[in-house]
Amino acid sequence: MSVKIWAFSESPSVANEVASVASAIAGATAGGFAVVGLDDSGSLLAGEEKLVVRADSPLSASPEAAASALEAAAKEANPDIILVGSTRDGKEIASRLAVKLGRPCASDVFSVTLVDGALQGKRNVFAGKLIAEVSMPLPCIVALKVGTNPALPASTAKATEKTVGALASKTKLVERREKQKGTVDLRGAKLIVSAGRGIKKKEDLVLVSDLATALGGAVGCSRPLSADMGWLPEEHHIGLTGVTVRPDLYLAVGISGQLQHVAGVKDSKVIAAVNTDKSAPIFEASDYGVVGDLYTVLPAMLKEIKERHH
Amino acid sequence: MKIAVCVKHAVDETELKVDSGGNPQLKGASTKMSTFDKNAVEEALRLKAAHQGEVVIVTVGTPEAKKTMKEALAMGADRGVLVSADPMAMDTRRTSELLAAALKKGGPYDIILCSEGSSDMYSGLVPPMLGELLGLPYVGYAKMIDVSGQSAKVERALEDSVEVVEALLPLVVSVVSEINEPRYPTLIQIMQAGKKPMEDLTPEALLPGAGPPVPLVKSMKAQAMARKRVVFEGPPEETAKKLVDALAAEGVLPR
Repeated sequence: MSVKIWAFSESPSVANEVASVASAIAGATAGGFAVVGLDDSGSLLAGEEKLVVRADSPLSASPEAAASALEAAAKEANPDIILVGSTRDGKEIASRLAVKLGRPCASDVFSVTLVDGALQGKRNVFAGKLIAEVSMPLPCIVALKVGTNPALPASTAKATEKTVGALASKTKLVERREKQKGTVDLRGAKLIVSAGRGIKKKEDLVLVSDLATALGGAVGCSRPLSADMGWLPEEHHIGLTGVTVRPDLYLAVGISGQLQHVAGVKDSKVIAAVNTDKSAPIFEASDYGVVGDLYTVLPAMLKEIKERHH
Repeated sequence: MKIAVCVKHAVDETELKVDSGGNPQLKGASTKMSTFDKNAVEEALRLKAAHQGEVVIVTVGTPEAKKTMKEALAMGADRGVLVSADPMAMDTRRTSELLAAALKKGGPYDIILCSEGSSDMYSGLVPPMLGELLGLPYVGYAKMIDVSGQSAKVERALEDSVEVVEALLPLVVSVVSEINEPRYPTLIQIMQAGKKPMEDLTPEALLPGAGPPVPLVKSMKAQAMARKRVVFEGPPEETAKKLVDALAAEGVLPR
């Protein structure tokens, strides 16, 4: 069976990541795939076949308008599988397309394969405690978990353009404040030292940041530190409702290890933890743990690491 | 102002047991209101406090979902609407269609609130589907909602940015947990919740002629947690050295 696949994201880098999954499915079925983007993203996209949808106003400013434009394009091209990067805007676009086109849809799916004409994949459910197997008959829409696949490089192929003219949006974007890039890029970090409620006051975060600096890593935190205490900005929050990370080393300091937190780190290569409570669930989710007071263990670790570099 | 909050009755993921074969013991498992739905209920109650009106809780669930309904009513909502169907036996589109039909029947509502995703399945698809199905403006991942007259200004928390979006009412909004701190009902509120009106609706009445629902999930298994679980105890200098040694041996420390 030869299938026609779309690899879409409103973000070109995510679209190219989705494209690598599309390429694998297409390769296994002698099918084809097109990488689909918005507005002026054509030159940034990967693949031999590219499509950009555009309208009189930027589609990137409105997931609603983007979904309407994609609907028009999908009705012409009729892809069997529409893969969408499962970003927050991507989930909205996928949901709207599912309703508009009358197709089933699942989000945050990984390990996608085509079996007997149905698209199968996995999702983390119950805060990562379980993995659900989902299956959808074609045609369908799948929002793919992002940050889990390599991106295909941008290609020089010329993108086909589909212009849809004026699109009404029921919401109006009045301001977009970009979070400071570069200050914290947890998703791409190779090493993360993360702080939890074991930290007694804001000033003590320096223990965590000093260790992170010595290891060339980034600083993360569990939800209470950003949401309740406000000691770190929200973009440092790692977990189900925050950032999902997959560093080589995730070091959890003073973090008890609630399911919602562990759900955001479980793809890390090595997980280590420092906690005073021997029965803390974080030790169940860790490769290495130290039962001890972070206020004495962290300085000792810092000393040990500095000595090794002499 | 008439406000609807869509909530979900869910198995408590923290209490969920798994047998030796990795199969979840969902039957008889401890249940609760989906965690982030409490933030949606709280936001509705705050909007009601500021603008007067009524808060209606809408859910698709089994009879057991009345427990979640009562909890939302105890928090301060005025009445409930239960669509009797098991959301685990259908895909998110059908759940959204049922909710949309129940909202149309009981509406019009000025604001329809949801959380960004449920604590069990965490798909995040139902809120935008509601916006699409109802033909209303939809704003997802709200961390602040400011309603003034017939319009709303909403701050959206996205991965790399915060967006400020304006829309006219009626409006569908999904909220993130940072938006507020949900209240705890008092004992008196809990006792009175059972006396608040609760309407029962059936899928057949809401979506006549709709075919049988198609579940999306084929099976669920425990996540394999293949971690080494080596734990060091002792004086900090010793345990710190052991940990650094172990991490260096794994090759995850900078050389």
